[in-house]
Amino acid sequence: MIDQRKSYECKYTHVRRCLIALTFTALTLSLAGCVHQPNQTTLYERMGGETTIDAVVENLLYRIADDPEVVVFFANTNIDLFAESLASQLCDVSDGPCNYEGPPMDRAHQHMGLTDVHFNRLVEHLDAAMQEEGIALGARNELLGRLAPMYADVMRLQ
Amino acid sequence: MFSPPNSTFRYSLSGCLAACLAVCFVLATTPSSAGSRIIGTGGVSAIEGAAGGGLSPWAVLASTASAQEIGVTAAATRAWVDDYRLTVTGASLNVYDRVEVSVARQTLDLETLGGELGQDIYGAKVRIFGDVLYHPWGIWSVGIQHKRLVDGAIPTALGADETSGTDVYLSGSKLLFSAVAGRNVLLNATLRNTDANQGGLLGFGGDQGSRSWVAEGSVGIFITPQWIVGAEYRQKPDNLSVATEDDWQSLYSAYFFNKHLSLTGAWLGLGDIAGLPSQQGGYLSLQAAF
Repeated sequence: MIDQRKSYECKYTHVRRCLIALTFTALTLSLAGCVHQPNQTTLYERMGGETTIDAVVENLLYRIADDPEVVVFFANTNIDLFAESLASQLCDVSDGPCNYEGPPMDRAHQHMGLTDVHFNRLVEHLDAAMQEEGIALGARNELLGRLAPMYADVMRLQ
Repeated sequence: MFSPPNSTFRYSLSGCLAACLAVCFVLATTPSSAGSRIIGTGGVSAIEGAAGGGLSPWAVLASTASAQEIGVTAAATRAWVDDYRLTVTGASLNVYDRVEVSVARQTLDLETLGGELGQDIYGAKVRIFGDVLYHPWGIWSVGIQHKRLVDGAIPTALGADETSGTDVYLSGSKLLFSAVAGRNVLLNATLRNTDANQGGLLGFGGDQGSRSWVAEGSVGIFITPQWIVGAEYRQKPDNLSVATEDDWQSLYSAYFFNKHLSLTGAWLGLGDIAGLPSQQGGYLSLQAAF
């Protein structure tokens, strides 16, 4: 009788553990599945279109100008050209009506001696600029998610 | 540094940690240089000292130190369940976001049974490759945790084979941008080889087995860039016939006030511990980093 009870408990514990593990796996997979949920409007529209993107780029440039560790990389940069190129890239990446025609990310950053420190700093400046220009968290996260894979290209020729 | 545990060492360790925490608070309240990684990407301090959630280490390294930067963290943690109270003090060092070394002191008060159990954990974690944000496969690290019981009498009496042991683990972490309702989701999986009973507090190995592979995992959602809520699950071995051991689970919420200070609260479900059934309770952990 006691043996039977013990074996029942043992089985019960085993089943419960499996159920918990299954629930956990299912939750993880369903979260992962949500990554590509369809959206009616484009990210470009949700970010506020051309006006907001231009404001974000300008805001970002002021932040770069105030950051001695980052501004040195822009010493020989034509800022007007850079602003235009970045705005067109953000517009293109967010499915807006633009076609980025600037240089590829690896060539644009080659031999600059960039490290993770500089990359992270720029991400923080961009997110802060987007926040200050009133872009909602969801749209900010989505844009950062589309830019994140560029890390490999930016760092390829350092 | 790795001298055998004795009471002098024990008090000097907690004294040192208290001093370290005090220094951290001063630094946390004054503007100073922090690591350049994005806020939250260092996780919090897990109960074994490594950067992670609460119950399980993650692949990320402690603090926000990046390439060419050094980071230091100190943490104080307390967990209350029905018949036990766990106190953890720990510190860690991150060198160039490549290597993390950590030390932790755990004290388990046996409030119902009487007495206490304690162990010291010396840990190291190496980032093999990747980045939790920028790499398509996330970040992957391997780690080791060497654990030494302060007094092995009770665990040995319960049937544990050893009073010290070493865990090794492989861990992967990945942030999914804008995954649920525009919020970022952090996934973590850890595979651990261990012979520790109840994380080592009940000794190592026993009459029902010794080393085995166990899986740990967590899912968290960043409600804001500074606030993550989620769940953790940690599979455990069951080596002692007189003290059935269950898997651990938690629901957690961690808030990063800034890159220097975070507070974690959690609900814990730890199952049976040393013959006392269904231990549940709360968890609070404060971490300072600079």
